Amino acid sequence: MGLKDDIERYKQVGENRRQDLAEFIQYGDLGRSRRDSVQIPIKIIDLPEFAYDQRDMGGVGQGEDGTPQPGDPVGEPQPDDDGEDGDPGEEGGEHEYYEMDPEEFAEELDERLGLDLDPKGKRVIEEKEGDFTDITRTGPTGTLDFERLFKQGLKRKLAMDFDRDYIRAALQIDGWGPAKVFEWARTEENVPVSKAWVENEYEEMPREERGIYADLEAMQSEVEKTDTAQRIRREGIDQIPYRREDERYRYPEIIEEREKNVVVVNIRDVSGSMRQKKRELVERTFTPLDWYLQGKYDNAEFVYIAHDADAWEVERDEFFGIRSGGGTRISSAYEIAKERLDEEYPWSDWNRYVFAAGDSENSSNDTEDRVIPLMEEIDANLHAYVETQPSGNAINATHAEEVQQYFKDSDNVAVAYVTSPEDVTDAIYDILSTEEEQ
Amino acid sequence: MSDSETPITAPEDVQMQREAERLEEPVREAAALATKLGLEPYPVNYWIVDYDEMNELIAYGGFQQRYPHWRWGMQYDRQQKQGQFLGGKAFEIVNNDNPAHAFLQISNSLADQKAVITHVEAHSDFFSNNEWFGMFSKDPDAAARLARHGETIREYMQDPEIERAEVEKWIDHILCLEDNIDQHQPFQPLSGDEEVPEVDPEEVVDQLGDLELSEEVRQQVFDEEWLEAQREDEDTTSFPAEPEHDILAFLRQHGMRYDPDAGKAQEMEDWQKEILEILRAEAYYFAPQKMTKVMNEGWASYWESLMMADENFAAADEFVTYADHMSKVLGSGGLNPYSLGLQLWKFVENTANRRHVVEELLCVDGITWRNFHDTLDFQHVLELLEPADLVSSVDPENLDSIDPDDPRIDAEALEAAQNGEIDLEKYPWKIFTYEGMAERHYSLTKPANLGFLNRISMEELERISRYMFDDSKYDSIEEALSEIDYTVGWDRMREIRESHNDVTFLDEFLTQEFVDEHNYFTYEYMQSSGDYRATSTDYRDVKKKLMLQFTNFGKPTIVVSDGNYRNRNELLLEHQYNGVALDLEQAKNTLERVFELWGRPVALRTIEKRYDEHDIEVARRRDSEPEPEETGLEIRFDGREFTEHDVEWSKVSHLAATDIDYDTKPEEWLA
Repeated sequence: MGLKDDIERYKQVGENRRQDLAEFIQYGDLGRSRRDSVQIPIKIIDLPEFAYDQRDMGGVGQGEDGTPQPGDPVGEPQPDDDGEDGDPGEEGGEHEYYEMDPEEFAEELDERLGLDLDPKGKRVIEEKEGDFTDITRTGPTGTLDFERLFKQGLKRKLAMDFDRDYIRAALQIDGWGPAKVFEWARTEENVPVSKAWVENEYEEMPREERGIYADLEAMQSEVEKTDTAQRIRREGIDQIPYRREDERYRYPEIIEEREKNVVVVNIRDVSGSMRQKKRELVERTFTPLDWYLQGKYDNAEFVYIAHDADAWEVERDEFFGIRSGGGTRISSAYEIAKERLDEEYPWSDWNRYVFAAGDSENSSNDTEDRVIPLMEEIDANLHAYVETQPSGNAINATHAEEVQQYFKDSDNVAVAYVTSPEDVTDAIYDILSTEEEQ
Repeated sequence: MSDSETPITAPEDVQMQREAERLEEPVREAAALATKLGLEPYPVNYWIVDYDEMNELIAYGGFQQRYPHWRWGMQYDRQQKQGQFLGGKAFEIVNNDNPAHAFLQISNSLADQKAVITHVEAHSDFFSNNEWFGMFSKDPDAAARLARHGETIREYMQDPEIERAEVEKWIDHILCLEDNIDQHQPFQPLSGDEEVPEVDPEEVVDQLGDLELSEEVRQQVFDEEWLEAQREDEDTTSFPAEPEHDILAFLRQHGMRYDPDAGKAQEMEDWQKEILEILRAEAYYFAPQKMTKVMNEGWASYWESLMMADENFAAADEFVTYADHMSKVLGSGGLNPYSLGLQLWKFVENTANRRHVVEELLCVDGITWRNFHDTLDFQHVLELLEPADLVSSVDPENLDSIDPDDPRIDAEALEAAQNGEIDLEKYPWKIFTYEGMAERHYSLTKPANLGFLNRISMEELERISRYMFDDSKYDSIEEALSEIDYTVGWDRMREIRESHNDVTFLDEFLTQEFVDEHNYFTYEYMQSSGDYRATSTDYRDVKKKLMLQFTNFGKPTIVVSDGNYRNRNELLLEHQYNGVALDLEQAKNTLERVFELWGRPVALRTIEKRYDEHDIEVARRRDSEPEPEETGLEIRFDGREFTEHDVEWSKVSHLAATDIDYDTKPEEWLA
């Protein structure tokens, strides 16, 4: 024991309480995150105490240049800054954040949405030749036979894995405590569960969830036991138990090492009709997509294009904030996208994603005459258009529909509709699963 | 004190040892300087630690050994992140103990080390002299005590008979109530089982049977009436007689644990009782620090700044770093206890000095409170008050002209300096007495305070003159000011640091002048507009809000009202409502924890503020604020679910304080 232990315990407590990923994407504060680090708020980690209602309490502030006069708005009060002496946990109301890198984010999103995007290596970065095809127990890390290691690990996992929901449900049988459930699982169900796991689950289970089934039969009629293979197919696997004894190293034959690299083009309509709400919806949809692809690929590059009747390339920082006047001509953005991709990201070397978003308003005939042909010309793993219309459809907002109609048999074009934050996760799923089906 | 006694400890490591040697002199001289300034610190033991150890210490609330708990991990994590983003402030950690223990981080610059050392000496003075710190114990033996606590709890966690998770949860439950003690009373340890043995009538019936008394005796002495009385007694026993503030003590004496397997309350296990008492003791130990944060931090900042900047404790090249450090500590946003405290102490000093000067001036023939501002040439007054050359500068080459009998001169030190035993270039203050130092650092003639004297209000002048008897004692201003006592400011400050806590400190010394000078204002949440608005710059309002923030640790007062509520041994807590509502969500979460420590249903009575949607709408249109309706509310938790119901006003009216009002919204805003 010691501080290390305390930190470990804190991490466990924190991890259990971080905001659900889907909830975070839909409603969370995305602004704190950077492209390489996703900050997910942890729900109140501090212990509760008898406290005043923060709003009813009011407070005292100190003006910097002059004092605000009665009636002046003063913004949200800042929590007191006093991180010392014997009062840890005094800074109530402060948010803690759980930090994820994009890899973890992508993994979690796969798990949460049931995605399984398998990135393809494209550009060949190295070619190696060698005579040895031997397999040994030691070797440089780069030659580790990971597939074998993975398979062995998977076997292990299958042997050790069990249907957690099913056992958990047994804990909800009236009168069944952890000891009883453990005995039942081990003897009757032949499930490799540990006693500690059962006890821990029981502890974690909110009181009101206990005892909801009258008896074992009632539980079994509600909860179906699924076997491991089915479950893994459905939920994926979050962790494989790797063991040193499974490691084998391969002396390379000729191996082409391909880098999994991706370029993502984000296109956004910034014309006058794209008001605050619509802009937010675009940000909510695009940002997680960026994180996801960055997490999936070894090397990710991003191109941001804003357009009204004309298009121009911008930096990410400005991308979601820009507003201009002017009309809308979506093809202008695709022209720039094509130019940039052809010049710097040849299709033979790069995975390409082209995401566009707007409120589906476009100048007449532009969709049919210019955008659709351009979309056909630009080779890409996936083209997507995200329509953001918080208030349903406007009369001349037909771009999404036209694109969808035209490409309805195509397997690399996705169209998604987002009218409120609730739709965001579905839209992300629609977009990412389109490619997966290829 | 000779070099060998210098209380710095460093691990067996060349670098650490070298740092310890480098700091020997500053540590010795800081203690000497503090004493010269009239402070009486506990002796301080300094420890040289590395960056990681420092972060650990911070996480553990300043101690090396604490009980295992995730919140230390949380604290450490925050600390790390703050360090990353704020570029690592030089932290001062000092424990209230005799001797006090303080920690110096090896990687700090010399300027930072010196700042920490001077700061620590002042804290140590505060610990040893403030009477609120005496409430826990005159000899807290804190480090050893907390280490012992840690050891006990660690042993329970490792005991194979006890689930570690159970111990952790038990600690969590108790920590939710760590502020619910009676911090205004001295700590009373609860060692054994103090419970008065209760008479169980059914048991008595059995025992009477066992006694084999003759039926006659039984009938006559222990008749049904007697037994009935015993039963009734039990039924109607409502305790405590007076509302109990120390909820932890009450739970320790009368609480039980809920046993989910048995589905009922059981007596607490020995380990549960012991941990409850341990954490209660720690709550009492840390209470004075929480109660004197503004004063204590301000006090330390005041003396640190005087020693470092005004007494050149930092060498010229170190001073820039020091000033930078200082601005980080004092400028860290929000309401900052360091800066509020520092400002208040300076204000106290200036006010005491000014009062003394004004008293003397009003004794000059022809000067009255009415003509004070018109008659006096303040420029001239300040010139007269200017410290004498004797104390303001020291010329080591020219010591012979100094009169060793001058009360401002430390004759012994003067002699030593003349013999070349004292380095006056570095430590000029050594040849002065306390009186000399007070004049040397006189507040009213410092550039920052030049306007303070003539800013005195007519009211204050009149108030002072009311108690003057001999108003023409002096013929001239010069005569009046020739005998000025330069020590009154510091004397007054030391008096105040003995008896006050933050609440009384703010109550007594926060004035309109102070609030205006430092731009303080109050704010409230507006129901109508849904945002926070500034409401007042009146010092009475600022004071109200600050009192709310500092009284009872800034927490609502919750007391045990009845330990036999509903005649079923349920626990009734009451919120003594001061016009500011409870955070009901948190209160419910806390009640769940109280249930675990009581073992039987628990209830809380409070007063809720309700706003009518229609009233809010009307207020919004009229640009005013709606009036809430105050309603009695009882929340009960039986271990499974919450029930809430309104209670009659008569049952909560005793909870509502009518004589205080923390609302600072102007009257005319209310609908």
